[in-house]
Formats: sequence, C-alpha cells, structure tokens
Amino acid sequence: MATLQGYVDHRVLLILQDGRAIVGVMAGYDQKSNVVLSDSKERVYSVEEGVEEIPLGLYLVKGDQIVLIGELDEALDQSVDLSTIRAEPIPPIHY
Amino acid sequence: MLPLSLLNAAQNKPMLVELKNGETFNGHLVNCDNFMNITLREVYQTNADGDKFWKLKECYIRGSTIKYLRVPDTLLDAVKEEQNRAREAGRSARGAHVSGAGNRGGRGMLQRGRGAMRGGPIRGGRGRGRGM
Repeated sequence: MATLQGYVDHRVLLILQDGRAIVGVMAGYDQKSNVVLSDSKERVYSVEEGVEEIPLGLYLVKGDQIVLIGELDEALDQSVDLSTIRAEPIPPIHY
Repeated sequence: MLPLSLLNAAQNKPMLVELKNGETFNGHLVNCDNFMNITLREVYQTNADGDKFWKLKECYIRGSTIKYLRVPDTLLDAVKEEQNRAREAGRSARGAHVSGAGNRGGRGMLQRGRGAMRGGPIRGGRGRGRGM
C-alpha cells in the first residue's frame, strides 16, 4: 500500500504541475494526496542567478496538482549553497 | 493532521487561494466543504499575470479549480492544540464510561460476541468434559 505516512514531520520537496518546487515540513495529508506543508519555501531556479528561496509559510496544496513528493536529506540539503546553483526551471505541464 | 481540518479551522481567517489558471483570490474564509469548495468575503482577485485587480464583496470558488491555499502560520498550532484537547476529552469520557459500567462487555465474558456460543446452553469450554 503506497502511503505518505512516512513523510509526516519530515522536510519534503514538492514538485507541482506548474513546475514549482516547494520545500516544507509535511504536517499532514489525506486520501486525495492533499498536503499540508508548514514552514514552506518556494525554490526558484534560474540560469542567470542562484536559486532564490521565497518563504511561503503554511500551505495547503491540492493533491491533483502534485507531481512528486520526495524526502529531503536535511544535512545534505543544508550543505549545499543554493546561491551557487544555476539550473533551468522546470517548465509547466500544458494540457 | 488532515488538510480539511486545517481548512475548517481557517474559517474567518485571511487566506490566499491560487487557482489552476494562476488567478489568485485574497480574502477571509466564510465557509468550506469537503470538496474544498469555499466562499470568501472582502476579496481581492488578481489575474494570472498579476497586473489586473478586482475587488469582490463575496465569491464562491469550486474546490476542483484550486491549486493551493496559503493560510496563517498560527493555524497549525491552533489545530494541533484543538486535536490534543479532543483526544484528551475522548479518553477521559471513555475511561469514565468503562469504570461506570463495571465489567459489562469486557473481554472474555460469557455473552454474545467473539466466540460466544449462539443461544446454546452455557457450559464449560473445550476440554472441561472429563472427570465427571
């Protein structure tokens, strides 16, 4: 049985269908994969400058918008200097 | 914690709703349901490009069109506290019931339920027939 229970109270990375990458602590979820993220930040990637982190706070994301949820290795994540990272942003899905 | 309990706790609180088409709605939550359909009051609507604004007295948003909701940080603690209170209340209520009702319905009692003999005469269980 696939479940999100193991991610609860862990810092996770969410990728949305519009290409956004959001990191936050998963505070809860439900049957439809709606997810509550606390202390969340959006990571905006660009090739011109480093990654920009935009604080978002408490977020409720609808499950049908979520493409993937991954657990973050917090130690590893903190060892990365985001301002040195250059990357193409993920393009949104068009229907 | 369930997303919908957070939403229910957000009634009368300010929130930002972004739709799948990129439009955003800023307002106070009036009501919501289990489909995440919501009504907001005193709303500022912004188009997807963020260059046009509308002020609405009240609006209804179908849950299926929502991408995400942004709610005040303080709500998380409020909901967790509320859940703790509810759990404690439930525990003490059950405890009072059990002590008040004595042993009725307890495990291993001779009555209908798991393994009880349907309607038959009450006698000892297996292996008690010898030594008569």
